[in-house]
Amino acid sequence: MTVTPTKPAETLNPAAGGKQAPSGRKRGNGKQLLAIWLFLVPAAVLGMYFKFIPMVEGIRLSLFKVQPFLGDVFVGFDNYVSVLTDARFMDALGHTVVLGLTQTLGALVVGFVLALLLEGQARSLWVLRTAIFLPVVTALAVVGEIWRILYFPTPDGPLNSILSSVGLGPLQFLNGTDTALWSIAVVGIWSGAPYNMVIILAGLTGVDRSLYESAGVDGATVWQRLRYITLPALRPSIVIVLTLAAIRSLRSFTEVYVLTGGGPAGSTEVWMTRMYSLGFQRNDIGVASAAAVLLLLVTLLLTVGTQLLARRKAQR
Amino acid sequence: MDSKTMSRSRAAVALTIASAAVLTGCGAGSSAPAATDDGQPIEVWARAGTDAATTYAALFKDFTAKTGVQVNFQGVPDLDQQLQTRAASKKLPDIVINDSAALGNYTAQGYLQKLDKSTVEGNDKIAGSLWDEAKGLDGATYGVPFSRQTMVTMIRKDWREKLGLPVPKTQEDLEKLATAFATQDPDGNGQADTYGMTVPGSTERGYLGWWASSYIWQDGGAYLKDDGDGKYAASASTAEVQKGVTWIKQQFCTPGNTQPGALTAATSVASPFFQTGKTGIILTGPYNFASFDTALGKDAYEVIEAPKGSVDNTVLAEGENIYVTASNGKPEQTKKVINYLVSSDGQKAGMTAGKQPIVRVPVNADVDAATVYNDPRWSVVQDALKDSSKAFPSAINFVPIKQAAAEALNKIVSDCGADNVGSGLKDLDTAINDELTSQNAKS
Repeated sequence: MTVTPTKPAETLNPAAGGKQAPSGRKRGNGKQLLAIWLFLVPAAVLGMYFKFIPMVEGIRLSLFKVQPFLGDVFVGFDNYVSVLTDARFMDALGHTVVLGLTQTLGALVVGFVLALLLEGQARSLWVLRTAIFLPVVTALAVVGEIWRILYFPTPDGPLNSILSSVGLGPLQFLNGTDTALWSIAVVGIWSGAPYNMVIILAGLTGVDRSLYESAGVDGATVWQRLRYITLPALRPSIVIVLTLAAIRSLRSFTEVYVLTGGGPAGSTEVWMTRMYSLGFQRNDIGVASAAAVLLLLVTLLLTVGTQLLARRKAQR
Repeated sequence: MDSKTMSRSRAAVALTIASAAVLTGCGAGSSAPAATDDGQPIEVWARAGTDAATTYAALFKDFTAKTGVQVNFQGVPDLDQQLQTRAASKKLPDIVINDSAALGNYTAQGYLQKLDKSTVEGNDKIAGSLWDEAKGLDGATYGVPFSRQTMVTMIRKDWREKLGLPVPKTQEDLEKLATAFATQDPDGNGQADTYGMTVPGSTERGYLGWWASSYIWQDGGAYLKDDGDGKYAASASTAEVQKGVTWIKQQFCTPGNTQPGALTAATSVASPFFQTGKTGIILTGPYNFASFDTALGKDAYEVIEAPKGSVDNTVLAEGENIYVTASNGKPEQTKKVINYLVSSDGQKAGMTAGKQPIVRVPVNADVDAATVYNDPRWSVVQDALKDSSKAFPSAINFVPIKQAAAEALNKIVSDCGADNVGSGLKDLDTAINDELTSQNAKS
């Protein structure tokens, strides 16, 4: 096997070549670029086939009354008007925002606390971290079923029996119109926090230890160390956590569908469950597609917004 | 980037798009496809779980042995979602066996071919009323009746006898029995862990609207009224419906009369309460006999026709039809499949060939359910079906109406402190009328 130099000759001998060097690099770059594109083709084709074409098709369908066997009828933005003027959709939007904010902030705080508590190299911590991470790798449908049992609304239900031992309850949890949404949020926090914990743990490893020592010498309190050293160092991790959580929370579906199916009295209906029931139970693919496109736009805005906000803060 | 590199990049992007377009068959039009014979076995889909699928498999094995026609059968639990996917690619299965109430939805989507009932062998063995249920809004026949059933009330006989209570004859008796099951420890374990009725009170797939319809009919009410000529109008806020819904709300708001979590329970969550001895009453279809017999024992529960409301004891009748899809290009094989499915042999095979009957009460007058099953409980089902049952209208798309009813009722019964029956049902009236208008079926 012969070893070929990976760098062009002119870089090995900058003195030689003179004016030819840039055009030679261009030719080399051109070939490299073509090679890169050719390597990308399989992934691009798959991405195109499974992601972008369905996405474009979704946008197209949102402008039609969809009925494949009778011929789709172009309705312009009527489907969007239907979504935006539907009171049920607006209620669902309110629930989605409440659920999203609660889950995002809850999972961030709990994840942060878990990360602080479980930071370190000890083997026991490693075991504990794995145990705490388990909800993330468990299917949400299974998580939902487990919590359905935990939330059983009678005095002998698992959670209610604990509550009654301290003189509280029994609570209705998923069965009460006032409590159902919060009960779902707790499940979301429970399953989302360990994921945040891992990202924050990774961020914590990057904190310069000597800063803590200096702060200790200067007599800084634990809170001051947290406020002026840990939190600023964690900003990139927190931005990632917030961006992912914002996207995830808007798409909340499985836990709501499994736990309550949108009930009782529509108190837990979110954007995705409304979209699902319109698309698959009511066969109104056009309106469901319009709702999906709106969700895509909001997600995009939220993601870009979070990034911009973070960048501006970082620049300050 | 120089122009050469740019053009290469563009070429690569174009290549990617072109290959993807070829792969996806982009550019297909939106008109209905021509029905052609692809030379493959006739494809039949039915909404069926594992147990029902064993019966279909045995039935079609018998059919192929008799006729030589090969069948590619698939039991699809989430049938409507899968049909949508196939409709998007404009190639539906050749035959679909599904609820009779799906007819309105399918015809609205253009999924079905019209049928001439005189071409079905033994069409006179099927009652005229059943053929009427297979008609679309335009008066044409779009399905062949295959199986029928109705709901019956099942009660824990051992519990009832232990408490010394009679078989309920009226809704009041039923309510008293439910309260007694919840409060008098019928299983004798010393704990307050038993409840009255099993109720699927979730809005999912319109379950609550489906369950409540029987009790509303028993008081003389109905979600909508048929004005003839394919036109309907909402009637959900009449005094009769209010009476029925008030009784239903009372059950939800009397502690223990319904199982815990009933407001968010689909049937898959609700039924196990009866099956595991937590509730003592269930209004459901006879397809549950097999699983209840296994879990509770045949003698532990009794099957009766529903107790009477203020008017009668009407219960919901349901059934399955055979539908021929718009993309079916195999008329000869289709005819053979239909003729077999409604023949005596086909109907009997559908009742006994597998683990779960797919023909519950036969549509063929030559076949008697109680005799074939050798089980008197099927006489109760047959009698209820004949004397006191009612089906949802099948010509219109009833799914959104059932969904709207479930959502309205769920709201009404979830707030026990509120006097919301009248206002909630008025809202339901509006929702139903809006839906009828959008379906062009409002009188």
